[in-house]
Amino acid sequence: MAPLLEIEDLTTSFETEEGLVQAVNGVSYALEEGEVLGIVGESGSGKSVHALSVMRLVPSPPGRIVAGRVSFQGRDLLSLEEEAMRAVRGKQIAMVFQDPISSLNPVFTVGFQLAETLRAHLGFGGAAAKRRSAELLDLVGIPDPHLRLTSYPHELSGGMRQRVMIAMALACHPKLLIADEPTTALDVTIQAQIIELIKELRRDLGLTVIWITHDLGIVAGLAQRVNVMYAGYLIERGSVREIYKEPLHPYTLGLLGSVPRMDRPSGGGLTSIPGKPPDLSRLGAGCPFAPRCGLADDRCRAEMPPFDGPDDSERVRCWHWRAVVDGR
Amino acid sequence: MDRAKPLLEVRDLAVYFPITRGVVLSRKVGEIKAVDGVSFSLAKGETLGLVGESGSGKTTVGRSLVGLQAPTAGSVLLDGEDFLALRGEALKQTRRRVQMVFQDPYAALNPRMRVGDIVGEPLEVRGGISRAAVRQRVAELLDLVGLNPAHASRFPHEFSGGQRQRVGIARALSLDPEIIVCDEAIASLDVSIQAQIVNLLEDLQRRFGLAYLFIAHDLSMVSHISDRVAVMYLGKIMELAEEATIHGAPLHPYTQALISAVPLPDPDIEDARQRIILKGDIPSPAKPPKGCVFSSRCQRCSAICREQAPDYREIAPGHFIACHHPGQAE
Repeated sequence: MAPLLEIEDLTTSFETEEGLVQAVNGVSYALEEGEVLGIVGESGSGKSVHALSVMRLVPSPPGRIVAGRVSFQGRDLLSLEEEAMRAVRGKQIAMVFQDPISSLNPVFTVGFQLAETLRAHLGFGGAAAKRRSAELLDLVGIPDPHLRLTSYPHELSGGMRQRVMIAMALACHPKLLIADEPTTALDVTIQAQIIELIKELRRDLGLTVIWITHDLGIVAGLAQRVNVMYAGYLIERGSVREIYKEPLHPYTLGLLGSVPRMDRPSGGGLTSIPGKPPDLSRLGAGCPFAPRCGLADDRCRAEMPPFDGPDDSERVRCWHWRAVVDGR
Repeated sequence: MDRAKPLLEVRDLAVYFPITRGVVLSRKVGEIKAVDGVSFSLAKGETLGLVGESGSGKTTVGRSLVGLQAPTAGSVLLDGEDFLALRGEALKQTRRRVQMVFQDPYAALNPRMRVGDIVGEPLEVRGGISRAAVRQRVAELLDLVGLNPAHASRFPHEFSGGQRQRVGIARALSLDPEIIVCDEAIASLDVSIQAQIVNLLEDLQRRFGLAYLFIAHDLSMVSHISDRVAVMYLGKIMELAEEATIHGAPLHPYTQALISAVPLPDPDIEDARQRIILKGDIPSPAKPPKGCVFSSRCQRCSAICREQAPDYREIAPGHFIACHHPGQAE
């Protein structure tokens, strides 16, 4: 079966005062239908811009998708007319953002905003739109859905607002849901509720999900595959087991060492990664992680490694992944 | 660490904020009990973690300790002396001993001041020190927190988030405090930088015998750094115990749910885990549930929980809890 989404060599750059910045740099991967893909990275890693590029929502100017191919169900999204792309957005690929309060319009009720989506994309009439809106709120676990339709966004808690955003995203039965840090602004007990909801929706609706986060913990229990991004590059990819149990990139290994583990008795320092995330306007030709990497040598500083890995697996972009395996 | 003779003791601390109606003739129509009867102690060289979700009052507790928020009731004793009753010179001398590191390193540093002046300002306010000595001390402090002393003449915007947080720590250290209140000091930093800052805080604690009140919503980081942990919910401490107890054998249903909600970076454990998913939202602090504040979301809630708030009591030596039905999770 052909993958649902196939991204090849996606490159997005931004015009800035410091010059041209490559926010996404030659990212390629494939996503099978029904999978949850976790994309992990810190600020500036390009994880969000990559998602906006897939949706063709990169603000332009200053941003521009300069190269690559995004194939969704066999169609190249980057060459679609804007009108055709509008039909894809929301209807086939939907997105949920980090901050639900700035994604919802404060002067309209939740019901109005849900119905608007249904009218615009699916041509629902008034009564049908209202009924379907209530069904959607019920689907995402909002109690008293009919009552909630008349609520304004400010009357809802952060967790409820994010549920509304998910309901809105699901309104047109999209094939793919891109969730960009959807739980970062929420408390942990509410985050656990949202993660549980996404798991249920995937099971019940066969939804394919891209979950973007900086938190390695969240995707461990949610995703089947994980991509790790750093400074615009996809530097490691694999099944969730491979990434957590057999990481091959020194950055992934460092990231895993940076988070304290609740399941282990505490004690001992965290193995932090020295230095700071790179300035994207000053990246050289080499591996962007080299200045912070204990294994870096002259080759790392001069040349970005291609994908490599055990058994030709193309899992990692690191010259020294064998040393990572030996040292793990 | 001498737990028997605490450095800091907080007794029945309460901070209420009035809810008012009307603009010209504003009248009080209610109050938000942001902190309601919180008691704990902190020994020299100890780290007490204070965890809670939004609205739990953890930040208000921290602000009360450094004098940024006047409590409605209760006392804060520093070496047995009531910190809140002090005035004038005595207050100034005592304030030096408790310093704070703030959450947002972007908002906490004056953008128009050079980093050297930011770190040196507390020294100048205290007075009795020459300019050359201030410069010397600033250089020492910057070096101590892992910054280049030559960068004292730079402005905050020239630094990354992690570096700014180091500046905030240097400023907090400038008056040789005994206690530092870290209010979500790592929450706005990238994961790889969080570990750096936590390691720095631990290193400074070993060198200077600092006591920390480490306020955070991230239970895994709090567990990592703390000797003891207090779990807050809607203005009250639900449970307070040794870190190993909170982590390994918590007795309060809220602590258990909170631990259960922390995602673990291990797919095998995550697959096998039975999560306690709390129902509903955190109630508004303006309208907390009657009886136990956690009763509206608690799996063990019974009739008494909805009627009567449980006492905060010592259930085992050093293990405090406010619950009618304490017990191991099922």
